[in-house]
Amino acid sequence: MKERGFDYLNKITAVDYVTHLEVVYVLYNTSTKQMEVLKVKLDPNEPEIDTIIHLYNAADWYERELCEMFGIKINGRKIKRLLLEEWNGVEFPLRKSFVWGKEYKKAV
Amino acid sequence: MAVVRINVGPVHPSTHGVLRLVVDVDGDTVKLVEPHIGFLHRGVEKLCETRMYMQNPSYMEKLDYIAPLSWDELYVAAVEQAMGIPVKEGAQYARVILLEFQRIASHLLWMGTLASDLGQMFTTFMWAFRDRSKVIKLLEDVAGSRMFYVNMRLGGLYQPLPKDFKERSLALIDYIEKTMPEYIEILDKNEIFLERTKGIGVLSKEDAINYGVSGPVLRASGVKEDVRRSQPYYVYDKLKFDVPVKYNGDSFDRYKVRFEEILQSTKIIRQCLSMMPDDADVVGAPIKLIGPAAKPDTIITRRELPRGEGLIYMIPDKQKPYRISLRSPTFVNLSVLSKLCDGVKFADIFSIMGSLDLVLAEIDR
Repeated sequence: MKERGFDYLNKITAVDYVTHLEVVYVLYNTSTKQMEVLKVKLDPNEPEIDTIIHLYNAADWYERELCEMFGIKINGRKIKRLLLEEWNGVEFPLRKSFVWGKEYKKAV
Repeated sequence: MAVVRINVGPVHPSTHGVLRLVVDVDGDTVKLVEPHIGFLHRGVEKLCETRMYMQNPSYMEKLDYIAPLSWDELYVAAVEQAMGIPVKEGAQYARVILLEFQRIASHLLWMGTLASDLGQMFTTFMWAFRDRSKVIKLLEDVAGSRMFYVNMRLGGLYQPLPKDFKERSLALIDYIEKTMPEYIEILDKNEIFLERTKGIGVLSKEDAINYGVSGPVLRASGVKEDVRRSQPYYVYDKLKFDVPVKYNGDSFDRYKVRFEEILQSTKIIRQCLSMMPDDADVVGAPIKLIGPAAKPDTIITRRELPRGEGLIYMIPDKQKPYRISLRSPTFVNLSVLSKLCDGVKFADIFSIMGSLDLVLAEIDR
């Protein structure tokens, strides 16, 4: 994609469809003003995806967010620290299995 | 000298919110800056999944408490797109006018706080707040509240514009155009301000694109990118205005870009006021707690917020949104901070951070 001129990574996000996880990359071409959306389906039990940080530095925080919010393992980079402060890394808040209003334990 | 690790924040007057920085310094030279965010995390994206569509705008406003109307409009526009509701023509003009007023108010506040961060004492701060409060007063009379307007409804606004709206807006932009040169006098000719912004925190064009920064930060690095031009919404394609671009990418250029954007906004408002019909119908539908009739696939809505490009990625469902993902511009702009602060002096961290225009509520979401 980068060779085709999509030089600007706008957003990485994910959607939990329960049957599968979908990672969404929103890419943008700053010279032709085009936008492209890439979707990748993942297995919800052991989600893994390759990093794209060597292509776009913008991916850094987004990938950490995926790791924290959806429990997606990022291959090819070592994540020292998740994005937000002190979350436990066992439950993943934006998965549909995470119930709104229920109390969860923080990491100590 | 040995490298010393210093903790800045979470509560620090220059962070404009609750942000913790871990800074490694060698003497007075910064070796590493690592932002730790999450103190204001409320889980807005998850919260939106549990509420009906038109219950959410007030949460959206709390994302960016300096320019709440912009997020309000972005969210309502995404819902309109999902439901296929057209916006009334008069309301399109009215929304553009209000959004540009909001942009002016936001940039003015930013200018005042940047100057006071840089030790320029309180003159600029007081002037900027004086002018901003005039804008806020107008928005208050339109929407009914001072900070959080919740003024957008599907297809239009919450209530008709006040009778004297046109005259008052014209008088206000005349006033702003008259007072803006005063800021040039007090900032552009101020030795302290120039010393602390020129050549500080330089972001090259390639890095700006690669790190994905947006808004004034991107435009100060020489990229002419503005959603109002590249993907025009409402009546922006009928309006004549420039997108200010600077090429040095330092703190001073980021200040200059925002300064010129205020003047461009007054230009936009003036054109809209003359093009808007006199007795335009701007009132939208009352709040109904329903969702889209046919289920669309995905919705992507982009807007040029005062701080950069905002984007909503939404998977709609019948009653509630199935998933809402927000791209907050300052989230990405903050991630570039450690790159910008490499090798600067310790005090310059706050000049750079100020010039990025951070709002922590929007970053943590």
